[in-house]
Amino acid sequence: MDVGFIGLGLMGRPMALNLLKAGHRVQVWSRRRESMRPLLEAGAGDCASAAEVARRAAVTISMVPDAPDVEQVTLGAEGVADGAAPGHIHIDMSTIAPAVAQSIAERLGARGVIALDAPVSGGEPGAIAGTLTIMVGGDAAACVHVQPLFEAMGKSITRIGEAGAGQVAKACNQIVTGVGVAAVAEALNFAAKSGADGTKVREALLGGFAYSRILENHGQRMLERNFRPGFKAWMHQKDLRIVMGEAHRLGVALPAAAAAAQLFNGMIGCGMGEDDSVAMLKLLERMSGGVGE
Amino acid sequence: MSVAEGRAEGGAMRVGFIGLGVMGEPMAHHLRAAGHELAVWARRPESAAALVAEGVALCATPSDLAARSEVVITIVTASADVEALAFGVQGLAEGFAPGAVHVDMSTIAPASARALAERYATRGVGWVDAPVSGGGQGARAATLAIMAGAEAATLARVRPLLEALGKRIVHIGPPGAGQVAKACNQMIMVSAIQACAEAFRLAGAHGVDQAAVLCALAGGSAGSRVLEVMGAKMVARDFAAGVEARLHHKDFAILMEEAARLGAPLPVAAQVWQQLDALMGAGWGRDDTASLLRVLEG
Repeated sequence: MDVGFIGLGLMGRPMALNLLKAGHRVQVWSRRRESMRPLLEAGAGDCASAAEVARRAAVTISMVPDAPDVEQVTLGAEGVADGAAPGHIHIDMSTIAPAVAQSIAERLGARGVIALDAPVSGGEPGAIAGTLTIMVGGDAAACVHVQPLFEAMGKSITRIGEAGAGQVAKACNQIVTGVGVAAVAEALNFAAKSGADGTKVREALLGGFAYSRILENHGQRMLERNFRPGFKAWMHQKDLRIVMGEAHRLGVALPAAAAAAQLFNGMIGCGMGEDDSVAMLKLLERMSGGVGE
Repeated sequence: MSVAEGRAEGGAMRVGFIGLGVMGEPMAHHLRAAGHELAVWARRPESAAALVAEGVALCATPSDLAARSEVVITIVTASADVEALAFGVQGLAEGFAPGAVHVDMSTIAPASARALAERYATRGVGWVDAPVSGGGQGARAATLAIMAGAEAATLARVRPLLEALGKRIVHIGPPGAGQVAKACNQMIMVSAIQACAEAFRLAGAHGVDQAAVLCALAGGSAGSRVLEVMGAKMVARDFAAGVEARLHHKDFAILMEEAARLGAPLPVAAQVWQQLDALMGAGWGRDDTASLLRVLEG
């Protein structure tokens, strides 16, 4: 298929490369021109704006940091809507608030563009391996039409419901992972402070009811004290801010997520924002008299 | 107090007032009683009926009000309301002459207050954020605690007006700083309400007389204004608003979002926020924040 890709950061670059590898013709544009180079070298088409990407491909994908960026590249000047022909499909794979995703979908709809929200889980390793989990909200037929593109980037692809529903699922994902990272970090810090070997504790727990992907992957990196991102703490914090804002709007209590969000705030305040989320272990160590054993 | 006695030392000022709610209405009366030339604008003109009957001028738009006023005081609900009043169509900014001052006594985000101050500064219009603590009772008794964010010279000009409304006026710092102090105030106060709710929930669970517990605690180390006022409401199961819980809920969204932006962990406030979310979900937003007790009763 002819597909355009906007936003070639840590996640977007490998996702676009996987589309090329699967044989799709890919047009690219990114705000920072140097981030386009790996894609251009791999054979992608060079565009001067998001609008040009939309003129040259019937389907466009955006993967950008935050809601204002999504608004800018879709509805802003020289955005997707400016270049799109009627029936164009735009897939936003960024993580933004469900209500904002709905609003963008409505405004794109008014300009003849079908919008899907399709946030992902799996981090940079999942993006590189093409094994992302993709949660889709929006028109069912459009979702079927772009399925080959999703399959080039991800392994588990689920249409959750109408516009915004993908972002609701992503918010749920961030509740589970945010609280999960905190739980694993607390457990491993507690083990160390109690004089137990964290490596053995993790191994034992992996066989029982406390098994989780986070205990397996994040737990391992905590034990190795490997805090390189991965998924940066400030991005996890941003996602939890979205979640807490939605909970506030809906009148839904999220006490455990709220506690995790405050730990992420603490990480940002301590200058750990650029570390991986697993650096939460370091914050907890500071809160309990230093590194254990 | 006679009008002559109440008259501010610097003489009467032409003052505009917007926001004639539970707080604003008695505040407007105090300004008039202090001898200032008061005019008002109201989204619902009927809310100004009592003042108009006393001879206070009712302006057709915020812009008209600003054009005839040296100082306009606003006390409304949210950041968006203040922004619309200031820079919306026929807003205050269209009417203000250079040298005029907008004193906003609403509780809004510090960032919004700073942004408004900057926009006014380019037009030579002064800004004071002056949120208050003390509730309807403090407004009626003119004993409000007022936390001001402003340039010192601007605050000095409007201080006589604030002295007609409150007893304790503290200059916290530049524009926005008053709202920071107010956020701290809300965090401590609502967290204390939550602590009281949990205490009375525990006493109730034991089957102990809550009124006796309140009486005993009020004299000891746990004694506080919140315990006295809100504890009494909880014991009496009087959940009629004083301050509507939805307003505290709104304040928490602002202060928690700012804390996230700044990387400041607020673990207790985060939990209180969730209890407020549960309160809203239960449909008690227009009741008193003492309803935090009902959240714990499930």
